[in-house]
Amino acid sequence: MGVGPSTKETSLHHFRDPLLDLFQNDEDIDFVGFIVSGTPQSNDEKDYVAARTGAWLEAMRVDGVLVSIDGWGNSHVDFAQTFEEIGRRGIPSVGLSFIGTQAKFVVENEYMQTIVDFNKSKAGIETTVVGENTVDSLDARKALALLKLKMRGKK
Amino acid sequence: MNQQLRKLVIKTYHVQDIEWSDKVGYNHHTLSLPKRTHADLLDHPHVKSLDVSLIRPGEDRQIYCIMDILPIATKVLGRLGDGITHTMTGVYVMITGADETGESVQNFGSSEGLLSEQLYRGRAGTPGENDLIIHIEVRLKAGSQILRQAVNEGHAQADRYVQLIREMLKQVSPNDYDERHTFVDQVRTGKPKVAIVKMVAAQGTMYDNLLLPREPAGYAGGKSVVDMEGVPVMLSPNEYRDGALRALT
Repeated sequence: MGVGPSTKETSLHHFRDPLLDLFQNDEDIDFVGFIVSGTPQSNDEKDYVAARTGAWLEAMRVDGVLVSIDGWGNSHVDFAQTFEEIGRRGIPSVGLSFIGTQAKFVVENEYMQTIVDFNKSKAGIETTVVGENTVDSLDARKALALLKLKMRGKK
Repeated sequence: MNQQLRKLVIKTYHVQDIEWSDKVGYNHHTLSLPKRTHADLLDHPHVKSLDVSLIRPGEDRQIYCIMDILPIATKVLGRLGDGITHTMTGVYVMITGADETGESVQNFGSSEGLLSEQLYRGRAGTPGENDLIIHIEVRLKAGSQILRQAVNEGHAQADRYVQLIREMLKQVSPNDYDERHTFVDQVRTGKPKVAIVKMVAAQGTMYDNLLLPREPAGYAGGKSVVDMEGVPVMLSPNEYRDGALRALT
């Protein structure tokens, strides 16, 4: 399991990513950029990648992180690991993922309490319709608002 | 106080119509394209053929699984993330693929079927109802649709065609653009620092992405996330905006 047709982000999605417009233009935050991390096959590699992501964020002294993923199922193991590595460093985080009725998290931890579900299908499933279950500007605004709340709560 | 780091200027060139021609061109919002046959592919170990066609608004057809949808954009000055980029609006490239027996290039579910039923229009990552689509159908040799090297080569060959348009788009008059947007990478001193982590596929065939290709959302020069074993890579907001992440999912 990994990325299905309805949740996959096309190259055009990245080029016009709703997250980017919002974060780059928001005057209340200092948006430092994107960390692109892979969701590799083996558990050892998953741990390794998640820990490196945590180390980067800590070194950058960020006050908050949004974690967005277009895969699910097995890829949610990577997602959970990444939240663990961010959370144990005391950095507030919010997630964006397809969940619906079909993609309940296969693993969870205490740092995954604020996840915005960007399922758009009525049945909550992988519909195989390209673009259907992808992040739009409303999802992006929800996620940033929640992140601001969490960062404020930490102060 | 805000500190400006770099600027990216994106100029858009709107396409209202496409016509077939021997040469690539752009004139009065009409894009001219060759219906190239890629005769040079005949001896390729994995790629059988490429078929280029046009899908106008309202048209429908049967398609194989959608491999990617990408913008037509090119660097005119600087590298990804700064300088000047030209991009076309009103037209997007859709790559679909199957092997020569009709087995779609797919892994975790397939979008093969009727285009109108398999493409949700108007999302950030999909064309709108009124956009033109340049449809590149990649056909691989029998059984090759599950081989990483073959699928990637399909992307690469499709991108060679897109590059013909990019080369032309570099040469269009810098003043004939329809819209001009300036994006600034900046430090907002004193505000809370926020990063976005984008988790992308890195498991193998059809679960890969490329970072920092030579052209926006291009193929050539991109570094495979699978080959990098998924290790996190930092992109500035403008690098990301300039097509630094190319999907191969």
